[in-house]
Amino acid sequence: MEGTELGWWGVLIAVIGGAIRVSTPYLFVSLGETLTEKSGRVNLGLEGVLVMGAMSGYATAVLTGQPWLGVLVAGCAGALLSLVHALVCSLPRVNDIAVGIALFIFGTGLAFFLGKPFINPSAPRLPDLDLGWWSDSPHVQSALQISPLFLFGFALALFLAWALKNMRWGLVLRTVGDSSEAAQALGYNITLVRIAGTVTGGFLAGVGGSYLSLYFPGTWNEGLSSGQGLMAVALVIFARWDPVRCFYASLLFGGATALGPALQSAGVTANYYLYGAAPYFLTLAVLIYSASPQRALEGAPGEVSISR
Amino acid sequence: MNSLEAVAINAAAFVITLALFGVYVATLGHNPLDVYYVLWLGSFARQISVESTLTNAAPLMLTALCTAIPARAGLLVIGGEGALVVGGVATVLAGVLVAGAPFLLGVAVMSLAGALAGGLWIAFAGALRQYRGVNETISTLLLNYIAIAVMYHLITGPMRDWERVLKTSSWSIPDELRVGALPVIDVHWGLAAGVTVCLILYVVMRRTTFGFGVDVLGGNPRAAQMAGLPINRLVLICCFMGGAAAGLAGAFEVTAVHGFASESLVVGFGYAGILVAFLSRQNPAAIIFLAIILGGVAASGGLLQRRFDLPDATTQVLQGLLFMIVLASNAAYGRLNVFQPAAWRTA
Amino acid sequence: MNMVSQLAVEAPPSVSINALTKRFGALTALDDVSMEIQPGAFHALLGENGAGKSTLVKCLMGTYRADAGQVLIDGREARVASPRDAQRLGLGMVYQHFTLVPSMSVAENLVQGEPGLGAVIDWPARRERLTAFMADMPFRLELDRQVSTLSAGEKQKLEILKQLHLGSRFLVLDEPTSVLTPDEADQILGLMHQLTDAGQISVVLISHKLREVEAYADEVTVLRQGRLAGRGKVASLSRADMVRMMVGEDQLAASAPREAQSPGEPLLSVRGLSVEDDKGIPAVQDLTLDVRAGEIVGIAGVSGNGQTEFVEVLAGQRAESAGHVEAGGRRYDKTRAEMRALGIKLLPEAPLDNACVRGMSVAENLSLRSYDTEPMARGGIWLNRAEMRKRAAGLIARFHIKTQGPDAPIETLSGGNVQRTVLARELSERARILIVQNPCFGLDLKAVAEIRRQIVDARNGGTAVLLISEDLDEILELADRILVMSDGRIVYETPRAEADLQEIGHHMAHHEV
Repeated sequence: MEGTELGWWGVLIAVIGGAIRVSTPYLFVSLGETLTEKSGRVNLGLEGVLVMGAMSGYATAVLTGQPWLGVLVAGCAGALLSLVHALVCSLPRVNDIAVGIALFIFGTGLAFFLGKPFINPSAPRLPDLDLGWWSDSPHVQSALQISPLFLFGFALALFLAWALKNMRWGLVLRTVGDSSEAAQALGYNITLVRIAGTVTGGFLAGVGGSYLSLYFPGTWNEGLSSGQGLMAVALVIFARWDPVRCFYASLLFGGATALGPALQSAGVTANYYLYGAAPYFLTLAVLIYSASPQRALEGAPGEVSISR
Repeated sequence: MNSLEAVAINAAAFVITLALFGVYVATLGHNPLDVYYVLWLGSFARQISVESTLTNAAPLMLTALCTAIPARAGLLVIGGEGALVVGGVATVLAGVLVAGAPFLLGVAVMSLAGALAGGLWIAFAGALRQYRGVNETISTLLLNYIAIAVMYHLITGPMRDWERVLKTSSWSIPDELRVGALPVIDVHWGLAAGVTVCLILYVVMRRTTFGFGVDVLGGNPRAAQMAGLPINRLVLICCFMGGAAAGLAGAFEVTAVHGFASESLVVGFGYAGILVAFLSRQNPAAIIFLAIILGGVAASGGLLQRRFDLPDATTQVLQGLLFMIVLASNAAYGRLNVFQPAAWRTA
Repeated sequence: MNMVSQLAVEAPPSVSINALTKRFGALTALDDVSMEIQPGAFHALLGENGAGKSTLVKCLMGTYRADAGQVLIDGREARVASPRDAQRLGLGMVYQHFTLVPSMSVAENLVQGEPGLGAVIDWPARRERLTAFMADMPFRLELDRQVSTLSAGEKQKLEILKQLHLGSRFLVLDEPTSVLTPDEADQILGLMHQLTDAGQISVVLISHKLREVEAYADEVTVLRQGRLAGRGKVASLSRADMVRMMVGEDQLAASAPREAQSPGEPLLSVRGLSVEDDKGIPAVQDLTLDVRAGEIVGIAGVSGNGQTEFVEVLAGQRAESAGHVEAGGRRYDKTRAEMRALGIKLLPEAPLDNACVRGMSVAENLSLRSYDTEPMARGGIWLNRAEMRKRAAGLIARFHIKTQGPDAPIETLSGGNVQRTVLARELSERARILIVQNPCFGLDLKAVAEIRRQIVDARNGGTAVLLISEDLDEILELADRILVMSDGRIVYETPRAEADLQEIGHHMAHHEV
């Protein structure tokens, strides 16, 4: 029991380190979903996309020995799967939330189906950055071993926040998501913009999946993701469709997810499954907190149907 | 809604799904016709496969109602998996408590406990939506994860049967309260329960003022408010009925199949039920037939996997594919002139 | 006012429309219509709903493709295949419904669609140019305000500014004043008139308000049933001439005879009612009023001043944040039992969205109030659909609803017939309290006369009628007592006999004074 010597401090450090380590998939999926919802559609199937990304990234790394190539392939697989969502939703009278559920079932099924041969072989892992060199404590050092993907996600959140206000495509995306009448009057191709928003969102969610299989926990099996993709969708509501707030919310959720393992390493093994459910309870609590029975959700894109 | 049109479009969706799957299997070097033959063999060709099909269909009918009934009131509930698990756990608790009771009373108490637990579980999501504005699709999906986590917590700790070493499970219900098979065919009584509940709810939804009110609410909540309908009550009742059906599925999985709660309750009946509900277009009578067809797909899954060396997830992929195609086929409704009385076509 | 620099750069184009025809299936929406707009003209396009006005401008703007005929711009035939093409040719349209992005600032809305907008927007330079542009304009808005916080009048101004900013010198305004107070309407149309007089822009004004046409337009083209029904200089036409061109020789139903009667006891009372809108901003504040048996109380006001939220409370579609509603002397909780016991009926605006179920048939929609009573329900539980259909057939005949039959989906009915269906449902049983909002919006004159007659008949029969309308003429024609609602409050009240249009109009604009 290595955590016991530090007691509750150890748990705290482990939670913070875990938050950083676990938050990355939340961050990528929520940024992706933010883009999709800013275009006016909800993709509830990002859980399926995440798992598919994890599988394809891992498989690529096994086959080529190149983990970074795996990240790229995972993004493309996610984009491809989301393209299915985007195209089906472009048909008339198709409910995007229902298609999301179908994608959730189809995506996870397909990942398990195609990924079966890759459960046993081990893939090269993505490298770490050691940001804890200044400390003597092995706990701090291990907590600050950070993946470049985490830093990349952080930079991406800042970039998206800036781009949505200062780049042409940002304005186009927000227009299409907020008022299809305005978009139509401006001559934008609404369907095409929404397809682009959904596919880009899927790419990011796929990259988030590769983090799971290639960095932390760094394996591929059917229990790899337990609803992170779904919770990230809920997290976007909490973050009020703001990329920078998505970053903070991801850290919070990462911390909640890391609580169970941290307690376990500190010797608290009872109620393991209940602590493991902490992120679900947190998500539900956050939803109850963010929602309102009468009002529209603050910051919600006008065309998105998730608020009611 | 024109039912002939729905049958034709659903049939087309099945054919397209099977064709796509056939193409995939062909790329693996198998003959697609063999695949279809095995699907037939494993689902309806022999009595034993029909029994397996119906055993799978029973819980599907009930979990489909968990999506279909709230959907009539305008809610997209996908919490059947969680409601089934919660119902199963409640059934075990009730069974242990009423040990020694006469058979019929004991089974009634256990079924009621399962239905009540599942009903309250989904009604909670309905209440969150009505009184807090929480999206019910996301909340019910979360409740699935929570239900499963709570079950694992109970069967690894407070309710664990330490005598059973090979499998982590809860206590068992008393043997004398186990439910057996129907007469004539070797399928448990859950099938009869499923068919009965579907038929009752069909009558309730189609023939009563309650069902009409629910359809008004599902069609346009603003019109329902204007007509003074008790919206919150209708939503809660529909959610409760749907959840109770799924909870009942869990009860029969415990009383008739396993005898205890374990990971065997988490095999995707809830998710497949969503697909059945969408295929049936929320019609409880149609659910009976579509659950049998999807039960057949599930029943032949094992044979299919063994014969062609396919992974376990094959059935899930087939279901996901079918689901996606069925949703896409929504675009076809009203497009096929054959099904539209000439007078109603608008410019 | 100086507006030379930007607007003087380009002159407006001359536009001539040549024998345009547009068919939708068997329906000919536009039949061989021609029209000429000289640079600097202020041209009114007049006609009833469904006369083909919007089809004509949509062909001009590239939203529709005409089946025959052509458009000449500055004498050359122009191919306008999309709104973008129209923009390039300097043609701009201000739609009836706002096409602004609510979550964006004024600056962001103006910059959208600007040609040559780079991948990265150089905000300091853009803002400098926008500031200079604003300085040249007859009306101004703060660049940083979010559009969702603008009033309807300000939004309308922004729509016009957007078109001018994009370089449109030929503006089509589609019913631009329907959401404005009379004062705001006069201000905006007056400014547009100054610009046309200076030869800087041409304007086509789509309207059915004869007062506006007479006051601001130089020329008028009138459409009826897709055909050209008349044209001429506004100065040389009388109001009667224009009405005849619009409706043809058909006789309109005479306005309903209003029986002189003194109103009875108050049936509907609102006490200190406050309501919030979807964003939690107060929409109705401390509203108190009484409606008595046998009177029509008319609430006038510009759209967006809390009327919709008020009606939603009365319909049970929105919760009050303070105060309450009383009906028949008791607190009214909007339950079905109360509605039935007290005979409370409601015809809200946009009835297809607010009072009908799209997927259901005409018969089912006609039964929303009564499906759970005998004879349509046995024992209050078992539906009798045959009875439902039989009763519907009777109502369809009595209220002249044009439908393929009781089983046709309600969606297949025209707007006027949906309105009639809801009115038939609400008036088929004893109505003691009737709440009506914009009952004639978007209907042709014949349907309007018929529906207004039904409302007056109900009043004559002793029903307490609350009429909420954005159409001041309608209020003046129907109401016994006139209230003006502005910014969520009742700001003025006058009996019918003393009603003065000017005075009422002034109070409608209360919040801007």
